[in-house]
Amino acid sequence: MVDYGNLVISILAASLPLTMPILYASIGEVFAERSGVLNMGVEGVMSLSAFVSLWITFSTGSYLYGLSAGIAVGIVMGVLHSFITVRMGVNQLITGLMMYFLALSMGDFGYVIATKTSYLYVRPVSPVQIPILSNLPAVGPILFSQNVLVYASFAVAIVAGLILYKTTWGLKIRAVGENPEASDSAGINVNLVRHLCVILGSALAGLGGASLVLGYLGIYATGDTLVAGRGWIAIVVVIFARWSPNKAIAGAWLFGLGYSIAAIFIGSSLFSSLGTASGYFLLAIPYIFAIIFILVFHRGIKSPSSLTVPYKRK
Amino acid sequence: MVQVSLGKYLSYLLAVAASLTLFSVILLVFGYNPITSMEGLVSGSFGTVFLTSETFFLMGPLLLAALAFLVAFRARFYNIGVEGQLYIGALFGYLAAAQLGGFPSIVAVPLVLLAAAAGGTLWLALPLFMRIKLRVNEIFPTLVMNFIAMDIVNWVTAGPLKNPLSGNLQTPALPQSTWLPVLIGGTELNAGVIIAAVAAFAVYFVLYKTVLGYEIRASGASPRAAQSGGIDISRSILAVGLMSGVLAGLAGITVVAGVDHVLAQNFSSGYGYQGIAVAALGSFHPFGILIASVLYAALTIGGESLQRSAAAIPIELIYALQAIIVLSVLIVQKWIGDRTSRRR
Repeated sequence: MVDYGNLVISILAASLPLTMPILYASIGEVFAERSGVLNMGVEGVMSLSAFVSLWITFSTGSYLYGLSAGIAVGIVMGVLHSFITVRMGVNQLITGLMMYFLALSMGDFGYVIATKTSYLYVRPVSPVQIPILSNLPAVGPILFSQNVLVYASFAVAIVAGLILYKTTWGLKIRAVGENPEASDSAGINVNLVRHLCVILGSALAGLGGASLVLGYLGIYATGDTLVAGRGWIAIVVVIFARWSPNKAIAGAWLFGLGYSIAAIFIGSSLFSSLGTASGYFLLAIPYIFAIIFILVFHRGIKSPSSLTVPYKRK
Repeated sequence: MVQVSLGKYLSYLLAVAASLTLFSVILLVFGYNPITSMEGLVSGSFGTVFLTSETFFLMGPLLLAALAFLVAFRARFYNIGVEGQLYIGALFGYLAAAQLGGFPSIVAVPLVLLAAAAGGTLWLALPLFMRIKLRVNEIFPTLVMNFIAMDIVNWVTAGPLKNPLSGNLQTPALPQSTWLPVLIGGTELNAGVIIAAVAAFAVYFVLYKTVLGYEIRASGASPRAAQSGGIDISRSILAVGLMSGVLAGLAGITVVAGVDHVLAQNFSSGYGYQGIAVAALGSFHPFGILIASVLYAALTIGGESLQRSAAAIPIELIYALQAIIVLSVLIVQKWIGDRTSRRR
């Protein structure tokens, strides 16, 4: 007999670490897209930073160094991406996909070279049991027994929402994405804002990749089997969230939950009666849900007006 | 005119030279010999009849996928779902092939191709509908449906269609009468590459020699101007969507019916995405893409040879080189394009 209560708790508890990397990356993508730049390279940046942070933490023993290195990778890729799309005005979609190939293959190359001498792995950051709260039934193991990177991802989402909606910086970013000409007339340096947003977005994607390795998996795998679509999901989450960092929490969690259900069910006896192959259906559920969401809510989905349009002063 | 195209060729040379220089530096940093590596890339892709046939085999799906992206791109319809359409096309092709064992090749092969084309188009139908009727941007639906398509193929190859006698996650073999004919005995080079080359000429003809093609290019170049000029943009998008789906489906079946002869999990090594790189490398022109697909395939096959060679250079470095070349071409062309347009 399956213990359904515990099953639900373990699914929910596992869903939060699976939400974390998607959440970091989608907050970053919100900033880039809000300023008018579509960054399709997220998946690649996450992959490269996942490898670099694993390698650095494995070599130095320091999670902080690994995490910083992951963010640094994001910044470097962001500078390159914003140079090509914002400064040069090259097609954002194509550039993003090429950046995906570039970053993914660099991460894989680095891993192949690094594993010649030793197998890279780290023990994921230990969970922090929050006193008293973690002892609560059900809620304790789900919400209050996660590691610091998980907690931080939710904090970052909330802070990002405050920046975007409650500060002049946020106002400028939104203005640049909606109406670059008017923003320029109002004295805002449109392309500077875009450069910074792309770099910030990419840095957060880097943090997402680092958190996936240091806060959850502890290993790397080549051929995009590690990040395994989470970067693409992050881009979809941005639509779900209608370009709001706070709503991205819900969007990212939905996918985290999907991954968690799939992961637990594929290994469970409950599902073997339906045939192991049917597990692939579970993996498809978040994507099917995404399509249905867009179909149902398409009227309410409005991307920033200048998204993918480069800005040139006349 | 002549000056513009000369500038274009020079920009290519400049971009490729810059990429190869950067690549050489990377090779040196990691202790590989750049000169022997470059030689290895060339001899590893064209050095023997077998390697050359491998290069031209790989050119097939890359070219078809690139054309699928290109034709839609020219009407500003961003179909990044070629990968998914390619998988569903291959699945449909397989399902047709499994029924056609008793028929001679001359009947069976065209029907298999037709089924694949239908499958590819079907998988683009929903995003196409969403774009035309609901005005939903196609980038996200096409992207998301890639993953659903892969999950479907993963499922059937592990479940209902799995070959019970094989340890691999794949279907039983296609009936031999549905295989694409081999062009050079003892190699993998099959009729797929001819289908792809014919498709390149067909796409060129439609885009540049027909009224529809003119409307497609006008819709893509400036939707507003096209609309006020009386062009029905939805019609252009519908047309490119159908063509794109057909080409993507064909890309998938040329691998399955051409070489693999089974439908296997992950049979496409990202051809749908690589096609976008090839389309960009070929400057979004069918003939440019024809050349770009050879170059891209040669780098992959040459890279695989290098990995097997004594130098054992990881193939991932070649993938990075491919991305660097495409990015350099994009940057240099944009740079020269901006300069020439400013001068006018």
